[in-house]
Amino acid sequence: MKYMNKSIEELHEMLIKGEVTSDELVRESLELSHEVQKKCNAFVTILDDAKGCEVTDNLLSGIPYGVKDNYSTKDILSTGSSNTLKDYVPFFNATAVEHLNTAGAIKVNKTAMDEFGMGGTGTTGHTGIQKNPWDTTRLCAGSSSGSAAAVASGVYPYALGSDTGDSIRKPAAYCGIVGYKPTYGMISRYGLFAFASSLDHCGVLARSVRDAAIVVDTMKGLDINDMTSWDSSNVHLRSACTGEVKGKKLCYIKEIVDKERYKNASQELLDHLDNFYKTVENARELGMTVDEVSVDEAILKAQPSVYVVISCAEATSNMSNLTGISFGPRGEGDNYIDMMKDHRTKGFSPLIKRRFVIGSYVLQKENQERYFKNAQRVRRLLVDRWKEMFKDYDAIILPVGSGPAKHIDGSKDILDENTAALEEHLQVGNFGGFPSITIPNGFVSGLPVGVNITGNCYDDENVLNIAYALESTMEYKGQIAKEVK
Amino acid sequence: MSKFTKEMVDDYADKLLIGLTDEENKMVLDEFDIIDKNLDLVTQIPNISEVEPMTHCLDDFEYELRDDVVVESVPISDLLRNSDETDGDEVQVPKVVG
Repeated sequence: MKYMNKSIEELHEMLIKGEVTSDELVRESLELSHEVQKKCNAFVTILDDAKGCEVTDNLLSGIPYGVKDNYSTKDILSTGSSNTLKDYVPFFNATAVEHLNTAGAIKVNKTAMDEFGMGGTGTTGHTGIQKNPWDTTRLCAGSSSGSAAAVASGVYPYALGSDTGDSIRKPAAYCGIVGYKPTYGMISRYGLFAFASSLDHCGVLARSVRDAAIVVDTMKGLDINDMTSWDSSNVHLRSACTGEVKGKKLCYIKEIVDKERYKNASQELLDHLDNFYKTVENARELGMTVDEVSVDEAILKAQPSVYVVISCAEATSNMSNLTGISFGPRGEGDNYIDMMKDHRTKGFSPLIKRRFVIGSYVLQKENQERYFKNAQRVRRLLVDRWKEMFKDYDAIILPVGSGPAKHIDGSKDILDENTAALEEHLQVGNFGGFPSITIPNGFVSGLPVGVNITGNCYDDENVLNIAYALESTMEYKGQIAKEVK
Repeated sequence: MSKFTKEMVDDYADKLLIGLTDEENKMVLDEFDIIDKNLDLVTQIPNISEVEPMTHCLDDFEYELRDDVVVESVPISDLLRNSDETDGDEVQVPKVVG
């Protein structure tokens, strides 16, 4: 690897000085794509005919990147890692992809994912399991599993992801990289395959906070095709990364990170929490205060189920268009009902079927009040409590998950009541649309783990700057996965 | 004992035009019990029924309607490109009415 382990700004400088050409970068990225495909099964499509382009003042021009396969890419296969769209070729680009095209960025592959983003393991896509580049017996987490594996392996400096529960931020932690989802609506969702519209966010996986800022500066913007997008022209993420954080105030939630609460905890969990507290000390050494706060356990305990209920209900509705009639492979049957049922039964993976059935159940008239409406009520209670914390604090700092990447064998992606709050708290970032970024903060059992910073809506500059400062206290910025097993 | 049954799960799947294997059915049943138990906790939260359900993450957002301007349509041939069975400018389906 000669170039692709470098940052965006380093590559840009080399391109401008003529030390390397865009074509050379693309060639190296494509060669690495094939290597990583063999090792991690990270891609649905590798764009072997991708070519370099003229380099401009734009930092992203001429530099390769990856696109998660649930972003529509014009004339390029876009499957969402589902058999129901295994041959689907969009006739338009997602707005975020269009912005990157305009900047001169060069897509070299479409990354594999959990089917339609509806999984947290990277095991449910139609092209198979994505393996963690640090240890191929472990998961990448999901759903942006291929993007995380590719960026961590050094295929390119960044790849696009989407995040409905933690689908950018958890794979980033498991693969030792940065994952950032900005405030809801900062990046247009037009052209992103909808999973749960009130929770879906576009974002990026990169190897440094600064690279993530550069990419989202380009992806974002008001879009006439997405009425939930907003004008962020006064937000400048890269310039906001100054590292000046003295006097900033952070907090963490006792009920999530208190070791006493985890009886019979594994050594990995204990090490992960110890490592988190070390990062808290780093924050203090930077001149930030970090306080412990409490959140009502009743709403914390309900939170993972609230996510399941809301996301499954919205997905059930969003994906009712997947019939195999006007697009997708035709099912067999004598009438259109049987054809659609055959298409959906054969096309969806068991996990996604499970989610649909839950969605169907909670939306039945007789169940709506107990499940769907109550879930939406707890959503508000959680968001209100988080916003209350943001009145006193710049951001909340918490560990990502309950340790390093889990083993592929035995991954079920089913709620575990014991560590559910620790595993799933990032979903509150989606409930409230909060800007949220994961950065690598160390190793447990020889594998990377991550810490997350989440702030109030529209406060992305502050959140990124805090993450940027914290990143500078550790040695994991820009790291490339080294296989440990 | 669980209040959910295999038949219920099959019925909800069928409403979505999805068929389940026995294994898939069991997976749903197992998770239903966890969700149901967790949402039992919700019903115990004081005055929960008085909380306004939150349907969207930016629910203070002001939507601006765009001007009603005619824009160029996507060519029909592009739209039909992903359909397995077409006839001229239309998607072909089996006969629906007798």
